[in-house]
Amino acid sequence: MTSVELINIEKHYGGFHALKDVNLTIAEGEFVVMVGPSGCGKSTLLKTIAGLETTSAGTLRIKGRDVTRLEPGDRGIAMVFQSYALYPHMTVAENMGFGLRMAKRPKAEIEAAVARAAKILRLEEQLEKKPKQLSGGQRQRVAIGRAITRSPDVFLFDEPLSNLDAALRTQMRVELSTLHAELGSTMIYVTHDQVEAMTMASRIVVLNRGSIEQVGAPLELYNNPDNVFVAGFLGAPRMNFVAGQVTEVSGSSARVVCAGGLEVGFEALVGKVSVGEAVTLGIRPERLRLDDAAARIRFTGSVRLTEYLGRETIVYVDAGPLVTTGSDSGTNVFTVQIADVRPFHNGSVVSLGFDPADAYLFAADGRTLTPPKAVAKI
Amino acid sequence: MYPRPLADDAPVRRFAYASMVVLILALWLVPLMAVMTTSLRSFEEVMAGNYWGWPKSFNFIENYMAVFTQTAMARYFLNSLIVTLPSVVGVLVLSTLTGYVLSRYRFRGANLMFALFVGGNFLPAQIMMIPVRDLMVSIGLYDTYYALIVFHVAFQTGFATLFMRNFIAALPDELFQAARAEGASPWQTLRHVVLPLIRPALAALAILTFTFVWNDYFWAIVLTQSDAVKPVTAGLNNLRGEWVSAWNLVAAATILVAIPPVVMFFLMQRHFIAGLTVGAVKG
Amino acid sequence: MSTFWRSHRYWIAPTLFIMPGALLFGVVIILASVETIWISFFDWDGVGAKQWVGLANYAQLLDDSQFYVSLKNNLIWLAMFMLAPPLGLALALLLNQPIRGMRVVKSLFFVPLVLASVTVGVVFTWVYDPTFGLLSLIFSSFGSTAPALLSDEHLVTFAVVVAALWPQVAFCLVLFLAGLNNLSEDLIGAGRVDGARGWPMLIHVILPQLREVSFIALAVTVIGALRSFDMVAVMTSGGPFGSSTVLAYQMYEQSIFSYRFGYGAAITTVLFVIMAVFIAWYLRTLLRPEREGI
Repeated sequence: MTSVELINIEKHYGGFHALKDVNLTIAEGEFVVMVGPSGCGKSTLLKTIAGLETTSAGTLRIKGRDVTRLEPGDRGIAMVFQSYALYPHMTVAENMGFGLRMAKRPKAEIEAAVARAAKILRLEEQLEKKPKQLSGGQRQRVAIGRAITRSPDVFLFDEPLSNLDAALRTQMRVELSTLHAELGSTMIYVTHDQVEAMTMASRIVVLNRGSIEQVGAPLELYNNPDNVFVAGFLGAPRMNFVAGQVTEVSGSSARVVCAGGLEVGFEALVGKVSVGEAVTLGIRPERLRLDDAAARIRFTGSVRLTEYLGRETIVYVDAGPLVTTGSDSGTNVFTVQIADVRPFHNGSVVSLGFDPADAYLFAADGRTLTPPKAVAKI
Repeated sequence: MYPRPLADDAPVRRFAYASMVVLILALWLVPLMAVMTTSLRSFEEVMAGNYWGWPKSFNFIENYMAVFTQTAMARYFLNSLIVTLPSVVGVLVLSTLTGYVLSRYRFRGANLMFALFVGGNFLPAQIMMIPVRDLMVSIGLYDTYYALIVFHVAFQTGFATLFMRNFIAALPDELFQAARAEGASPWQTLRHVVLPLIRPALAALAILTFTFVWNDYFWAIVLTQSDAVKPVTAGLNNLRGEWVSAWNLVAAATILVAIPPVVMFFLMQRHFIAGLTVGAVKG
Repeated sequence: MSTFWRSHRYWIAPTLFIMPGALLFGVVIILASVETIWISFFDWDGVGAKQWVGLANYAQLLDDSQFYVSLKNNLIWLAMFMLAPPLGLALALLLNQPIRGMRVVKSLFFVPLVLASVTVGVVFTWVYDPTFGLLSLIFSSFGSTAPALLSDEHLVTFAVVVAALWPQVAFCLVLFLAGLNNLSEDLIGAGRVDGARGWPMLIHVILPQLREVSFIALAVTVIGALRSFDMVAVMTSGGPFGSSTVLAYQMYEQSIFSYRFGYGAAITTVLFVIMAVFIAWYLRTLLRPEREGI
C-alpha cells in the first residue's frame, strides 16, 4: 500500500528553482532517506511534505488523500527537527502531549499516549523534567517521542542526529532503526551523512539541485549508480575519477585512453558511445589494488600520504601524468583503500592496478555506460 | 573586557579609581540630592535660604504629608496611576499581537507596516497634536482619562511593536514549525508557545512603557485640563507656579513624581536595560 | 463555516491579530500626522470653518523672525546634543570595571534617564536660580555673581540644553555599557597579542565593534534634540521674549495660545520634514539587514 506520493512537485523561491519536477512513491512502512549536498533541496522537499513549505505546482498524497493544500497539522504527519524544537517552558510530558492537547483530545488519552511513547523511548523517569535538564540524546528521544504520541501516518526527520556527538549518533542510529522495525511506520529521513543513509534506509533518494538523481536500495545505489553524481556522492572515500577519450568502438565494446597512455577496454556497454567522445572512468578506492601483479590494468605512482585508520589504510598515490578529477583530497592523486595495515613511505614508488570489470564508465552527460554489477541480495 | 580591569594587587590604583568614580557620581547626582535634602527641610529653613547645606531638621513626614493634604498632588498621583496602568496593559496586548504577526508572517506590505510603526514612534508629538486633540474633543474624551489612555496605547504601540517583533523574531524558527506540524492554530501557538517564552520581554516592555507614559508631559497638557484627570507631571508644573516660595514642598512633590519610575527601575534594572538596548539595537 | 475557518484560519488569524494595533496606530498616529500637513494649508482657529490659504502659512513663516529664532535654537540643540554620545562613551569606559559595588554605581548614573523631563526641568531651574541656586553658590564662592541664565536671552537655550543633556548622556551611557558588555573577548585578546592598548586599541578594535550601538546612540540623540519640547516648556516657556523657543514649542504656542492652528501645523510640518530626513536614515539602517535576510 502506498503511503506517500509526490507527483510533479515544483517549488520556486523568487527566481530560485528549488524543486524540479519531483516524483516519488513511498510504500507503507518504508524507511526512505533523502541525501544530497547542502542546498540540493532535501530539506525543502521534507518541509513540503510536512506542509511547512507550500508547493508551487504538483500534488502530494498521503495514504491516498490529497493533502497538497492541507495545513501541516491536518496531514497526519509528525516531524522531528534538527534542533529538536522542544518547547523550553514545558516538561517532557507536556512537550510530548502538546499536539494531542492542541487537538483537544481527552486528558486520559493524552496521558496514555505519552506513557506509551515514554515507555518505548525509556523516558519514564524524565517525564517531569524540562528540556534544559536533559542530555542531548534524551532531548532527541523526547523529540521522537513527541512524534510518536501523535501516531502519525508518516514520520518526518530533518537531520535529527546532526547535533549529537559521534558516539551518540551511532547509538541513536541503531535506536531509530529498531524503532522503525517496532512501529513499522513510514519514515522519511533527511541527512547529509551517507553513513546514516546507507545504514538506515530501505531506500535512498539522492537529490541534486532540486531534482531526484536516483532512487534505490542502498547497496544498489552504491554498486550501480545511474550517473557520475550518485557515483561520486555515495561512498567514502570517494570514487576516483579519471578523464579519458574513446579511441575505438566495436559493437558494445569500447577502448578508452586516458592521459599518460593508460588504456582500458570496456565490454557490454549499455549506452552508445562514438570514437573521440570524452568520457569519465571511475574506480572505487577499495577496488584499486596495490602492488598486485594479477591486476589486468596497471600503472605506477609514488606515495604522497598515508592514513592509518586501524582496520584499514588509505594511501594517496600520485600517478604522474595520470590525474584524477574532483577527489576528496583536492589534489589530483588516487585514493586507495586497503583492508590491512602496511607501512608506506612517502615518495616510495608503488604499482596500482584494477580489473576493468570493477571500473565504471560515464558519458560526458554523466550517465553510466557500464553494465550493472551483481549486487548481493539482502 | 575593555578597558582592561584594574589589577587586584594594585590597591593604590584601585582606591584612586574608586575615589574618582565616587566624586564624579556625586557631581552627577548633586542636583537630585539637593532636591531630596530640600524636600526634608522646614519652611523656615527654606525661607532663610539654606538650600545646599545640611538640613537643620528633618521634616520628612510633615513635608510629604503636606504635599498630600495641602496640594492636589495625591489626586494627580492617582490620576497618573489610573492612566498609566491600563495604558501599559493595552500596549502589552496590542504589541504582542502585532509583534507576533510581523515577526512570523510574511505578507505584502509587512515591511512598510513595520517601518510605519517604528518611524511613527520617532515623529515629533506636535505633528499629531491638532488632529488628536480634535478627535478627543469630538468623541467626548477630551479631559478624561480615556483620552490619555487611548493616545498612549496608540503611540507606545509603535516602539513596543519594534521591541516585540525583534524579541519574537529571535526565538528559534523550528519551535514555530514544530507547533504548526502538531496542528496548533495561530491562536494556540500564541497562547501556548509565544506567551510563555516572551515573559521577560513583557516584563521589560512593561516597565519601559510605564516609565514613558508616567513621564509624559506634553500630552498631559494637551489632552487634559482639570485637576480631576491631570497627571503628576502636569500637576507638578502647576504646583511649582502656585507654591513659588515653598521650595521644600515643591521638592517633595518633585521627588514623589520621580519615585515610581525610579523604584521600577531599581526593582527591574536588568529588564529595563535589556529592554532599552534590545528595543534600540536589533534583537 | 468550520471548514472555511480551518482552511483559511492561517491568514484570517494573523489579520485579526494585527488589526487592533495597526488600526489604532494608523488612525491616531499616522493619519493624524498626515492630517496636520493638510491643515497647514488652511487658516483655522480650531473652532470655526477652515479656510484654504494654500502656501500662505509657509510664506508667512519666511517673514516670521520668531521662526528663525526657533530654527536657530533647534540647531543649537542639535549641535550641543552631539556631546551626549561621546560623553556617554567616556563615562561608559570609566565605569566598565569589574569591581564590587560597580553595579550600584552604574545604576545610580542611570537615574536621570528615568526621571520625567518635568522633574529634570524643575531640578535644573533650581540649580540655575540666580539667588539660591547651586550655580550662584559656586559663583559666590569665587566672589562673583552668577548670571541669571534662564532670563538671559543669549544664554538661556544653552542652559536648557545642558539640563536636557543630563538624561541624554545617561541614555548613551546605558547603550555604550551594553555595547562594551558584548565586545568579543577574542578580538580584544588578538589586539592585545598584537600589542594594541589604550588609544590604538580603542580606535581600531573597540570602536568598530561599537558601531551599531554608536549608530543607535547618535540617531536617538539627533531625534531627541529635534523633538525637544518638555524642557523648554517647563524651564522657560520659550522666554525670555521668545528667545528660547524651538519649533515644537512655537507650534504649541501658536496653536494652543494664539488659536492659529493652520500656522502651527505649518511650523510642525517644517519640523517634520527636517526630522523625516533623520528618521528615514535611521529606518534604512535599521531595516536593511531584514532585506538582506530574505
